[in-house]
Amino acid sequence: MSKKYGVYICTGCGIGESLDVKALCDIPEEEGLPVQTHPFLCSQEGADLIRNDVEVGTNMVGIAACSRRVNFDVFRFEGCVVDRANLREGVVWSHPRDQFPALTAEEKEDEENFDVVQMMAEDYIRMSMARLEKSEVPEPFKLETLSRKILVIGGGMTGMAAALDAAKVGYDVTIVEKEARIGGQALNWRKQLPMDVPYAELIDPTVNDLISAVEADDNITIKTETVVARLAGQPGEFTATFKKPGEKIEFDCPYPLPEEMKFDEDGKEYDVEKQNELYMEYNEGRLDILQLDPNGEPFGAVVLAAGWRPYEPEEGEFAHLGFGESPDIVTNAQFEEIAKVGKIKRPSDGKEAKSVVFIQSPGEGNDNDFSYTGAVTSMVALKQAKYVREDYADGKAFVIYQHMRTPGLQENFYKSLQQDPGIFLTKGDVTQVAKNGNRLIIDASDTLLGKEIQIKADMVVLATGMVPVTNDDPVVNMAYRQGPAFRDIGDCGNYVDSNFICFPYETQRTGIYAAGAVRRSMTVEDSVEDAAGAALKAIQCLESVNRGMAVHPRSGDMTFPDFFFQRCTQCKRCTVECPFGALDDDEKGTPLPNPTRCRRCGTCMGACPERIIGFADYNIDSIGSMVKAINVPSEDDYDDPPLRILGLVCENDALPALDMAGIKRLGYNANVRIIPVRCLGSVNVIWIKDALAQGLDGAFLLGCKHGDDYQCHFVKGSELADIRMKKIGDALTSLALEEERVAQFEVAIDEYHKVPQIINEFVEMVEDLGPNPFKGF
Amino acid sequence: MAEKYLVEPDVGFIEEVAGLGGQDLKKCFQCATCSVACPIAPDNKPFPRKEMIAAGWGLKDKLVGNADIWLCHNCGDCTSLCPRGAKPGDVLSAVRAYAVADYATPRAIAKMVPQPSKLPILLGIPTVIFIIAAILTKVIFGDQGDVIWQSHFIHNYLVDIIMIPTFFGAAGVFALGLKRFLADIHANALAEGKTTKEKIDPAGMVKALITVVTTVLKHSKFNECGDNKDRSTAHMMVLYSFIGLFIVTNCFFIAEWILHIEGPYRQINPVKWLGNVSGVALVIGSLLLIKNRMSKEDQVTSYWDWQLLVLVFGLGVTGMGTQMARLAGLAGATYFIYFFHLVFIWCLFAYTPFSKLAHLVYRTTAMTYMEWAERK
Repeated sequence: MSKKYGVYICTGCGIGESLDVKALCDIPEEEGLPVQTHPFLCSQEGADLIRNDVEVGTNMVGIAACSRRVNFDVFRFEGCVVDRANLREGVVWSHPRDQFPALTAEEKEDEENFDVVQMMAEDYIRMSMARLEKSEVPEPFKLETLSRKILVIGGGMTGMAAALDAAKVGYDVTIVEKEARIGGQALNWRKQLPMDVPYAELIDPTVNDLISAVEADDNITIKTETVVARLAGQPGEFTATFKKPGEKIEFDCPYPLPEEMKFDEDGKEYDVEKQNELYMEYNEGRLDILQLDPNGEPFGAVVLAAGWRPYEPEEGEFAHLGFGESPDIVTNAQFEEIAKVGKIKRPSDGKEAKSVVFIQSPGEGNDNDFSYTGAVTSMVALKQAKYVREDYADGKAFVIYQHMRTPGLQENFYKSLQQDPGIFLTKGDVTQVAKNGNRLIIDASDTLLGKEIQIKADMVVLATGMVPVTNDDPVVNMAYRQGPAFRDIGDCGNYVDSNFICFPYETQRTGIYAAGAVRRSMTVEDSVEDAAGAALKAIQCLESVNRGMAVHPRSGDMTFPDFFFQRCTQCKRCTVECPFGALDDDEKGTPLPNPTRCRRCGTCMGACPERIIGFADYNIDSIGSMVKAINVPSEDDYDDPPLRILGLVCENDALPALDMAGIKRLGYNANVRIIPVRCLGSVNVIWIKDALAQGLDGAFLLGCKHGDDYQCHFVKGSELADIRMKKIGDALTSLALEEERVAQFEVAIDEYHKVPQIINEFVEMVEDLGPNPFKGF
Repeated sequence: MAEKYLVEPDVGFIEEVAGLGGQDLKKCFQCATCSVACPIAPDNKPFPRKEMIAAGWGLKDKLVGNADIWLCHNCGDCTSLCPRGAKPGDVLSAVRAYAVADYATPRAIAKMVPQPSKLPILLGIPTVIFIIAAILTKVIFGDQGDVIWQSHFIHNYLVDIIMIPTFFGAAGVFALGLKRFLADIHANALAEGKTTKEKIDPAGMVKALITVVTTVLKHSKFNECGDNKDRSTAHMMVLYSFIGLFIVTNCFFIAEWILHIEGPYRQINPVKWLGNVSGVALVIGSLLLIKNRMSKEDQVTSYWDWQLLVLVFGLGVTGMGTQMARLAGLAGATYFIYFFHLVFIWCLFAYTPFSKLAHLVYRTTAMTYMEWAERK
């Protein structure tokens, strides 16, 4: 496609007053590129100025105005690559003239004087032009076949609700349920927590209404006694192989070779062929993930609503609470079974249980609730306490809790229960449950009623949790090289993974959305709402991949990673490091991209030592050229040349923080040149090496927080960058450069007030090191 | 380690306290705003937070014999500030009502007094008594001339013969109750660490009583309650008028039985002055109390409260009414009103140990005990 450039410089918002716009215009003009200025470029008139050019063929649009984070809708032109040189937030606002004075007419006479702010703006124009030169208009990735069907795994409340939501807006949905009938856990309940205002009373279970609605819906197919053996392919063209539960078939999903099996006795890693051989042995009877099931059923997107099972205490677990010692000490799930059948009777002798103690926390020195509980077990204890009162006018129900969690309007239910004269609630630590004749005696300490109390009861109920079934089995069984289950990033408890900090509905597998109790313990109300979210996400996925767009978080991005395979060394780093499992590889280790699984973060690009991965408008060369476009003044130019520092800044959190600093007029050193990157994970060390080789004095990476409370849009980007930057030290030493010239900083999106200080301190540190000796070569 | 406390909630107790005006007690979530807000709660084991949880859990043993419930003067600061609307002030009030019944004998009357449905029976008893007295007056003393004097309707000797045993009967009921009450509150104070004194010494108690009576007469504790400023005057008026009328009654008793001076007494008689002033104060005081109750929308005013308010007001109105009707020369009205006056007085004497008025005795005792026990 032929390129036609156009550069547009806005002089509004203080740009014109602060900068020498004429000098800015000279830069593209010298290269023979048409330049236009406008005092209000984001106005209708200003945008039309660009649009008119686009209509007559301009497709490489350089806009030097405000940050790319604002007015993106005004400056979006179909079929164009748009680059935004950030003159407003990045130059004039963050470098106000009262802090960075312009040269006086007198000062201008002397050629030794320079205006750091003007230099900054000029560099940004050059960098913008360089990027456009190395960019191509993206051509969307189109799937050969596209299925618009949604697969819902699990026919419980969440699965049924998700299916109904998707079916209502016209999508074909298939529910697979491993049991003989749909309904899930909700089938086992006597009553259900309130779902609607005033949230004060228990309601009859809604499961049967949902079952009838699902069964009556023409868009929904139900497959009971069915599980997913494997889910191959990618969003828009998944191929699902179903089987009966417990069956063994060749399309059962293979597991990756465990890490320890990849090494021989001496600790040496086996070569690719040997590893492949071991992998095939390890998965005897199962076909490799790349073997497509010809009889598989196509789907476009998946909702994983596999649900939960009641926690089953192990032998001897909760011995201090008497579990296992008396049949009258039960879990809440067992209690629900008893309540479902009829009046609450003691399992030991069938006598009426008129006094029941509900224990919310196992105690023993900490105030944790039982595992996998969240707020649900608080609510369930209240519900079951009500059963006792429903069954017996003189019944008493005691709830001893460390936490009483009644989220949202469920508080009303708590309040209504609290009003019941036979329900007694106290914070406390249950220390012991023992037999007392044919009854039980409960010891609790640190209660609202005093230090040490005892309660006599007929039954004791332990508020054990809801174990996500994905804890026992991957369920979704993805035929992905990274494995059939969601990757455990160690941050989600044992729940199914979710990139939860930024995107609660999204897993690390595009097109597969977890909902309900696989994500966290949830009430029916929560699950149904979660189901709606997952259904919408599944639809968003279908309606994005059909147009070749990224689904999220870079919704609408038409680019996708392009591989120059001739130079691939099969090192597998891209396959391994991709946070989203987008890359499979063949037996030789050559990566096989699945573009619709991809989120366009560029982690593969950052990982590739051969630098063969890139996107149409974001690649090794485009960023590398931007770095090269930075004018590095040397002693040939000035007696005391200014430093040049490169800042590679994550566009998701760090760039907004930097923009905000500009909006607040918080100045930072004007010798810094910022290049936004999709994610620090996409930063290839070659950019840093090139920058330093070219004479830049230092480089820093500014990204999001990593660790337990990571904030990365792409899960591990800043963490990966951290690892890679640590390895760059050797390379710097070989260039006789100090390691300190490269650094990485973490900021949260709201830490705009810290960013200028971080930058200034780094620059000062580099100043102390002195200029890069390679300057001027 | 402290003795383990076996919690045995009494659901019936909760329901009864709820019925006595503590219907919101279960709303408490133990934030203790009430204890902080209370201007008179002591620093050590302050109330009413602990009373609220005990009430919510139906722990009768922690409440009925707990002197703290009587230290509360029901100003309502806690109720106004309670974030859950649990109305601690009203709960304590209801618990006091329960405690009054619990310490009173016979149980049958104690159970009847708080129930509106039993009012006809309770009023029926004095009505029958005084109808009989009126008939007896007619039979024994015959026609006593045209002078309008209530003694001519129901003879003062008969009235006294009825009233004096009633009064002493009530005192006896109180004595029985107090014996248990004092033992209970002492046991409770020891158990909850509110006192270090092991054994009650009568001399110390008398000394404490003197201090407390001064406090009561000055209403100084009452005045510590923030919201009580208005109520204090009214309550003081009623208290002092009762004292005044008690003196007046005793004077006329002596005049009648010992000096044999027959009424009606002249208006210039200083005792009469005291009587009239007290009577007017009683009417005004009780009216102010009623107004106060009605203006406090967040406070529950139960039958228990109305009973006493109406009785006190009725006493004053019928007393003054009788005199005014007599001075106006309306014989029928005089006797008619006087009849009700007698019924009210009898009710006052007979039902005091069972009604809200029992606070006169229990609160004074509790305050005396706490003064002695050096509760801080």
